[in-house]
Parts: sequence; structure tokens; C-alpha cells
Amino acid sequence: MCDNCGCETTEENIFLPKEAKIIKAVQATADVKLFTLKMADGYIHWDPGQFLEVSLFGYGEIPIGFASSPTRPESFDIAIRTVGRVSGAINKLVAGDSMFLRAPLGTGFPINLLRGQDVIIVAGGIGLCPTRSLIQYIMDRRDEFKKFTLIYGAKNPSQQMFKDELATWKKSSDIDFYDIVDKADENWKGEVGLITSLFAKTNLNPETRAVICGPPIMFKFVVMELNKRGIKNENIFLDLERRMKCGVGKCGHCQINDQYVCVDGPVFPLSKAKQLEEAL
Amino acid sequence: MKNYYLSENDFSDFVTRMISTKELIAPIAKGPRFVFSKIKSPSEIRLDYDVTILPPKKEFFPPRQNLVKFSSKGYEGCIDPKEKILFGVHPYDVKGIDITDTVFENNKKDMNYLANRRAATIVASNIQKVSSRAFWDTVGADIKAKGHDAFLTKISDGYHFQTLTTKGDALISCGKFTAATEKQSSEAKKVNESVNGTCPEKLKHSSKDIAKKVRDSFSKKEMWDKMAQRCFSCGTCNIVCPTCYCFDVQDKWNVDQTSGVRTRYWDSCLTEEFSKISLGAGHSENFRESRGSRYRHRIMRKAAYLNETLGGPACIGCGRCSSGCTANIADPVEAINTIMEVK
Ligand SMILES: Cc1cc2nc3c(=O)[nH]c(=O)nc-3n(C[C@H](O)[C@H](O)[C@H](O)COP(=O)(O)OP(=O)(O)OC[C@H]3O[C@@H](n4cnc5c(N)ncnc54)[C@H](O)[C@@H]3O)c2cc1C
Ligand code: SF4
Ligand code: SF4
Ligand code: FES
Repeated sequence: MCDNCGCETTEENIFLPKEAKIIKAVQATADVKLFTLKMADGYIHWDPGQFLEVSLFGYGEIPIGFASSPTRPESFDIAIRTVGRVSGAINKLVAGDSMFLRAPLGTGFPINLLRGQDVIIVAGGIGLCPTRSLIQYIMDRRDEFKKFTLIYGAKNPSQQMFKDELATWKKSSDIDFYDIVDKADENWKGEVGLITSLFAKTNLNPETRAVICGPPIMFKFVVMELNKRGIKNENIFLDLERRMKCGVGKCGHCQINDQYVCVDGPVFPLSKAKQLEEAL
Repeated sequence: MKNYYLSENDFSDFVTRMISTKELIAPIAKGPRFVFSKIKSPSEIRLDYDVTILPPKKEFFPPRQNLVKFSSKGYEGCIDPKEKILFGVHPYDVKGIDITDTVFENNKKDMNYLANRRAATIVASNIQKVSSRAFWDTVGADIKAKGHDAFLTKISDGYHFQTLTTKGDALISCGKFTAATEKQSSEAKKVNESVNGTCPEKLKHSSKDIAKKVRDSFSKKEMWDKMAQRCFSCGTCNIVCPTCYCFDVQDKWNVDQTSGVRTRYWDSCLTEEFSKISLGAGHSENFRESRGSRYRHRIMRKAAYLNETLGGPACIGCGRCSSGCTANIADPVEAINTIMEVK
């Protein structure tokens, strides 16, 4: 810490994580665990869409998005899907355990460009976790935004996360919420099909600001739907996923063209992403 | 800036004194080739080397570097710089170090590199022998080597020694230096100028023109695929390069299984896994799946992507990649001259 203002000095070790305590850990689905955390030293600040490098010593570090809004600062959430070595090890942790974090990292959603506008968020699969930081933010400061639409697609009903919240959003007049699954089970009464088919239900004005987060293959088709409704590329924001190791613009893994996704992103306006040949 | 002279006879004592104060790293012979290595005696030093196998960046950014140590008691960083003198660095490698200095300073400072760098005194030296794949005189020709603390030039009957920083000045007490005469200084200048134009390989265009054309050639997929056709994705061209700085990070347990280290390792963008992500349930996506796209990424990084940040290309023309590539396709001169000619 610097003596004058208490800010972080630039000469600290950027690879040294800080300890966070798990206050609550619940299975969000069979393979996604939702952790509620508190920093051991109490302090953390983040913007919706920023991410963390989450680690467990002996296993490694992985990039994970903030899954809750800074408007709820008492604690914060992250949701991790069991994928490989590191996520698998972290998802064995329970309340009372610690994990080790470097955060906040990257550039999040452009709240200032969304404020005062209609907003649509399109989330596919695990993409609902990082966008939840923005969904909660908008819900908590609802009068700062105009019409708010959320579209969420999951593979099947058992992979739907945050079921209680989904139910609340469904009932709320603050949000137009539509969900769909690729494949139904016997109890599913909702929509079945591709996420893009939900656009028929929406009523989007061409000035709407759009945020997309999901598997890479989803982007192209969602963008087509948005463009069809007159939404311009500079008003569409993509939350990109790339291999990451350092999260601070050094290791080169996330580089697209001359941009580091971990520093310049992970959120990019589509108009900019279109100029980065490898982004889409 | 001060200019000194050291006689041939006093050189050995100078080196011995330096060794007694700090770790001294200098070029030595290894079989028919050369490496930067810790020196025990002055006779090991080979200032007549052409190029070393690995660039000197390994002294600040080693092939494996521990970042965090952990145990059941807690964890701590591993920044632990040792004072070193890096002696006999050719000007192109000084430029390479200047480039890694910039990238590790940029965004957030990486003290794991910078602490090592700041603890080093760099003595550059004139190029006595030009390597067979070098092109340092035509790449970024307008960029001056900077960041070194002193410059040693072999002149008749001895050495011209120019100090540029207080760290450089501090070395004067290690040897029987006298003030250089004007004649000696102008001889040193001539010696250094005389190597310009002697590199066996040549770029034919300015860095600016190259950067533009290379960038504009991004979507010539067939051209890139053809250039990379024989690539083994071995990553040697990255590993030997003074301006490559990508790394992987891995945790390892010690044998006790309760303590261990988080370590970074040099990584290579030419290898298949470099940009691959796991998507769960056995799915994955590789953003640079083809050899052509990885080969293109490397050339883009060397000739275009970083130019704005660095003020010039991220290649200093050492030719290490050219001679290290088994398929003989990594040579930036060949690649760039080809790209410049494709319509
Ligand atoms: C900005 C960002 C935000 C993310 N947010 C979330 C989230 O909120 N929840 C969630 O479950 N997942 C998220 N991911 C994906 C998550 O990082 C990967 O699932 C995770 O890295 C897999 O690591 P592993 O060691 O378990 O898998 P392995 O297959 O063993 O991966 C090996 C290493 O490769 C790298 N890697 C592999 N896959 C990815 C990937 N998809 N993205 C980035 N690096 C990868 C990591 O460094 C990892 O340690 C996010 C990724 C990014 C880039
Ligand atoms: S270009 Fe040559 S050195 Fe580089 S990865 Fe391909 S075969 Fe290996
Ligand atoms: S690209 Fe090749 S010639 Fe250029 S600096 Fe790297 S190793 Fe040397
Ligand atoms: S994750 Fe290392 S540069 Fe972006």
C-alpha cells in the first residue's frame, strides 16, 4: 500500500493472490458450484463483467467471472463448472475453506453506455454466471435503465442455474425474462429449441444495447438476430472467453490480434471485435 | 557518458575483480557454439562469439521461474533478485532486453522480471563476428540499442569502455582504466560502424512498410498455410527468441505433498495447445487450430502487433529462430520478403 492515499502500489507482486473465505457453497447444477465469498482482509471492489484468477495451491489458477453485483458488497459470488484439473479441485471445497484470488481483472461491461437505455442480455449456458453481475446490478438500480430483457438458454432443465432467481425474474415486472432449453425432460413445461427462437417473443427497439455471453458458436447467430432488429454493432457487447494464464497482459495466451482479452476485455463492442480478425 | 581505455594486458584483472564482487555472466564456448554462462575465470570469456544459443533474457526471465511458494503455514512470493553483471552483450540483444523491459513494465509491472532486471549491470560489446543468419542491420535499423550500462569495444592493443549509467561507472574501480584519447574513441566508433551492412540476410523494406503489408495480409489464408506447411509446431522459434515472452503457469507439489510452488515456464504460441480452451463435457475449442494461423500469429507479433507499444518491430534480427528451425521455415527475413512480394 502506498503511504499517501492507501492505493495499491504498482510495485507489488502481481502473482501473489489474496485469501478469500467461503461463506456458502451450494451446487447450482450437478456440475456447477456457486460460492459466496468474503476476502480475508475484507476489501474488494469490482465492476460487473470483470473477472478473477481463482486458485487453489497445488492445483493452479483459472479465470472466473464475478457472478454477483458490486451493489451487494457484503460478499460476492462466483460459480464454477467442473471442467478439468483446477475447477475440479476447487469444486470440492466447502463453506469454511479458503480459496486464493487475484482480482479484479479486465474491463467489464460498459455500464455508462447501458445507463438510460433499453438493455438486453443474452446468456447461454455458463454465460449466465458472469452476466449475473450485470443482471443484479440493473435490478438493484432499476430506474437508471429503461426496458430490460433477459434471454437465457441452457442445454436441458437440469442445467438451469439459479432456479430461485429465475422464478423471481419470471414474475417481476422489472424484467422481460425468457428462457429455453435445447432438450426437455418430462417435467419441463417451457420453451424447447435454439436460443435464437426466443427473439420472436421480444420487442426490441433498434437503440437497445445488447450484451452476449455464452459458448463461441452462439455469438454468430445471436448477432444476426440483433442486427435483423436494427441494433448496431457498436451497441452490441461480447463477453469473450479465451485461454488465460496470467490475467494481466503478460503470458500471451489470450491475445487476439494486438489485444489482450484479459486486459482490454473480456468485454468488447462487436464493432471492435469485427476488426480483430481472430475474435469471432 | 564517459570514455575509458583498458589495455589488453589489464583485461584479465578487470574480469577477475568483477567476478569477486558479483556474479558475472558472459559468452563462453559450448562445443562449436556459444552460451551465456556464469564465469569462473577470465579465460573462459569469448568476446569473439557470433551469437549465443539462447538470448540473455534468461537471466531475468528464466525458462522456469517460481512465482509463489506455498505450504501448510501459508504462502509467499519468490522475488529474490541477485546482483549480476551481464557482460559482452551484442547490441541486437540489448535491444531484445529493452523490448522485454517494456512488456514487463506495461499494464501492471511484473516485479518477478523487473527486480532481476534492476539488479543487473549490462555491459554491451561490439560484434566481432557476424552469425550466418543475422539481419540485425536491416531490421528496425533506426532503433538504437538502449538500457545497457556500459559498452566495451575491442580496439587495437586493448578495449574502449564507455560508461552510460552510475552502474556502469561503478565498474571502473574494477580495472586499471585510463581516460580514452580522442583517437581511441573514434577508433571504437569506427569499429562499431564497420559491422553495419555485413549481415548475410537482408530485409528490403522499412519496418513501417513491413508492418502495414504484413497486417494487410492477415486474410491470405493460403499464403500462411503454405508458409507453415512443414511446421512441426515444436515451438523452437519461440524458445530461442529474445523477444518472445509468453509463459504457462503450473502448480507443483513438493515430495511432502503439503508444500509446493507455482511456477511459470516459457511457452510457445506455435504449439497446438496454446490457445485451446476446455468447455466441459469433453468439448474444447482452439482459436488457432491450424499451423498456418499459429505461424501467422508469430509473424504478426514480430512484425506488426507490438510495433506501436515498442516503437518498432518485436524482432531484433538475431537469426536464432532461422538457424533453430528444423524445417527451415522460421526465418523472418524469408517470410517477410515473401509477404512483401505477394500481390
Ligand atoms: C474471462 C473468463 C471468465 C470465465 N468465467 C467463468 C465462470 O464464471 N464460471 C466458469 O465455470 N468458467 C468460467 N470461465 C472458464 C474457466 O476459466 C475454465 O472452465 C477453466 O479455466 C478450466 O480450467 P481447468 O483447469 O478446470 O480445465 P483444464 O482443461 O484442465 O484447463 C487447463 C488450463 O487451461 C486454461 N483454460 C482451459 N479452459 C479455459 C477456458 N474455457 N477459459 C480460460 N482458460 C481456460 C486454464 O488456464 C486452465 O487451468 C471463464 C473464462 C474466462 C476467460
Ligand atoms: S516454425 Fe520451425 S521452429 Fe517454429 S514451430 Fe514450426 S518447425 Fe518449430
Ligand atoms: S524472431 Fe527470430 S530473428 Fe527475430 S528476434 Fe526472434 S529469434 Fe531473433
Ligand atoms: S491471460 Fe495472460 S496475457 Fe491475458
